Amino acid sequence: MNHSNGTQPPTETGPMMHALPASAYTSQQWFDKEMQHVFSKTWQFAGFFEDVAEPGDSITVQAGLNNIFIIKGRDHRLRAFHNICRHRGTQLIRAVGKGQKSLTCPYHDWTYDLEGQLISVPKQEQEFPELKGKELHKCGLNLHQASVDIFKGMLFVHPDLNAPSIMEFFGEVQPYLGPHKPEDLIEFSEQEDQPFYTKEIEANWKIIVENYIDHYHLAQLHAGTLNMYDHTNAQFGWVGPHYWFYEPLITEYLENLEKLSSAPLIDTVPKEKIGAYVPWLFPNLGLAEGENGWDTFHLTPLSPTRTRVVIRSKVMNVSEREHTKQYNRSNKESFWLEHGTFPKYQTDDNSDSTDPMHSANFMAEDVYVCEQQQKSLSSPYFSVGAQAERGEYAIRKFQQVVKDWIEKETQAEITQVLKEPS
Amino acid sequence: MSECTSLVVSDINTLTNDAKTISFALPKNHHQNFSYLPGQFLTLEFELDGNSIRRSYSLCDTPLNTTQLSIGVKKIENGLVSNHIHNHLKPGDTVKVLPPAGRFYAHIAPGQYKSYYLFAAGSGITPLLAIARTVLQVEADSYVYLLFGNRDQGSIMFAEQLSALQNDYRVRFNLILTLSRPKSQWSDLWTSSSESPFQKGRIDAATITDFINQYPPKAQNAEYYICGPGSMMSHTREALRNLDVPESRMFLENFGHSHGEENTHKTITGVAAQLSASLNGETTRLQVNADETLLRAMLREGLNPPYSCEGGVCGSCRCQVTKGKVKMKSNSVLTKDEINHGHTLACQSVAVSDNVTIKY
Repeated sequence: MNHSNGTQPPTETGPMMHALPASAYTSQQWFDKEMQHVFSKTWQFAGFFEDVAEPGDSITVQAGLNNIFIIKGRDHRLRAFHNICRHRGTQLIRAVGKGQKSLTCPYHDWTYDLEGQLISVPKQEQEFPELKGKELHKCGLNLHQASVDIFKGMLFVHPDLNAPSIMEFFGEVQPYLGPHKPEDLIEFSEQEDQPFYTKEIEANWKIIVENYIDHYHLAQLHAGTLNMYDHTNAQFGWVGPHYWFYEPLITEYLENLEKLSSAPLIDTVPKEKIGAYVPWLFPNLGLAEGENGWDTFHLTPLSPTRTRVVIRSKVMNVSEREHTKQYNRSNKESFWLEHGTFPKYQTDDNSDSTDPMHSANFMAEDVYVCEQQQKSLSSPYFSVGAQAERGEYAIRKFQQVVKDWIEKETQAEITQVLKEPS
Repeated sequence: MSECTSLVVSDINTLTNDAKTISFALPKNHHQNFSYLPGQFLTLEFELDGNSIRRSYSLCDTPLNTTQLSIGVKKIENGLVSNHIHNHLKPGDTVKVLPPAGRFYAHIAPGQYKSYYLFAAGSGITPLLAIARTVLQVEADSYVYLLFGNRDQGSIMFAEQLSALQNDYRVRFNLILTLSRPKSQWSDLWTSSSESPFQKGRIDAATITDFINQYPPKAQNAEYYICGPGSMMSHTREALRNLDVPESRMFLENFGHSHGEENTHKTITGVAAQLSASLNGETTRLQVNADETLLRAMLREGLNPPYSCEGGVCGSCRCQVTKGKVKMKSNSVLTKDEINHGHTLACQSVAVSDNVTIKY
């Protein structure tokens, strides 16, 4: 590649992962670059459509460097604004008023309408000579607008009002996703108002993605878990920046699914399409679309070596009684004696009960390996010894996508700067 | 701008008792000149009773069809041109036609993901049908929601075409028909009201609220297009405003005015005056008769000022009054601000002071 125009990336020294240097997983500089060019220039998961169900409902979400406020109007259209009062930048925007909503910052009560236009400023005439006698919405002090849209029952935001449409971003991968209709399902959680699972993991966000899309480890690390899925017949690939993955159920499980499934089957999935759809939507959202559940797996990078994982889970919209009945029925089946969940290592004395390798829980297994991999990245002895051609193809590709994305966005920024008159 | 081209009528189709589509063959050499955006209209010129008269009619097809141009024409009681078209025009005839124009249109492009809400009453469906057809063909993911009001079953223009669209785009095209005076039908005896293909009533605030509650936007980038008689448009606009729809997302086509044969403010009267008109760098002085529009006076004098719809809609004849005073009979283009700054539409302006100076 010819980088004659001064856009040469910083020279990378030290060990390489697959396509990225190991420092991309440890350095603050890389982290900042990703925050700026990846997480602030992509459609970011913001929750489920029902989180902002009714006119007047609103939420705020962090998307990369941006805090975004989403509100629904009486026209049922969502609006998104950067949560920054144009007065002193306070991140305090909230919706007030019944029926007719206004957006206001409680610090000094600057108020905006539902389109983000400034409509009132206390002491406008007395205190602000530059605003005196003016129509406030024409003073260049309206809220910065962002983009919001819905894809497959999920809310997404993009910091740029003129972002490419969400269908332009996700449209290509849509045919590879499961036939699930998440908007018809209900959320499942053990504690009310809490997601199904949330944890801060001591690892770079990319380590967790790579674990998610690593086909090679399924039959190894998870030998005792996830084994109702037919890993050998998995299919996967990339469309644009997104990864798709599908694997069928093993025959014995599929043929007795009505009895064996631990939860009511999702009825929008036709029999011939049943399986596990486990795509990774660039940059930080995994889906797990299965025969009886539908989950989002969302990563929020907190630091170069710390990442929050939030899993939200949906199941069939049937009564709790139906769920319990199905669960009990499944539990009685001898199938699980052979295909149930077992710890990775079984020892007679089970000496260390806190060892994730004894947990028989695939999340605990994955979290453990991610954290252990992260630890070794700063060792002078670290290197990636060999790459599995098929099983780890997705990892190499993912790193390349991240690298290309940052280069593309950095380039676009430079072009933009050069275009602007000095 | 006001150059006419002679086009041959290629086809005439009957839509209802008083509505037809007229299609013109479009030769290759005119493709560029006659390219248009869905929502725009075509202006036809006829010599009737010794006068040359222009009328504008919305294009109903999609611009993707480049071999012919089709317009919807509803017969209006005592309407000179629409009756002429209905009673005398036949395939093979030649008609003088101006290139498509109009500020009411949708920007449609592949890759866009939008929700288009269309509100039509009567013949107001014509430009909205063009928009619906184009959106569904060009924007593979966008949605169209159409609320269409008519008097009764017999007055629904493009009924067949709309039902064809429903068949072709079951998910992305959603249509609600509402009839203000539906005729009861024999078949009503065994269809329950929930199966009825239309709802009763006019397009009003309640209908609009129900419509939007029933069809919340799938794509969050939503736009709202309104076309029908004046009262329907103002009611729809008001109802949408009460549902938080901002003006910036609403687009209106005033049909009553644009089509020149109804609803003009005939009560506005002018006085005979001296007109000084600067056009293409030349100034001409001429006499304007009382109640004659400035445009008509200039045309009578043999000048060639820009104009198109003669309905106060397209804005082609916009000019600046630098001296004297005029009044417009009808105006769907200029804002109050612009009028205060002296802008006017020559096709609608009569003089109200003895001396008037305008420049283009």
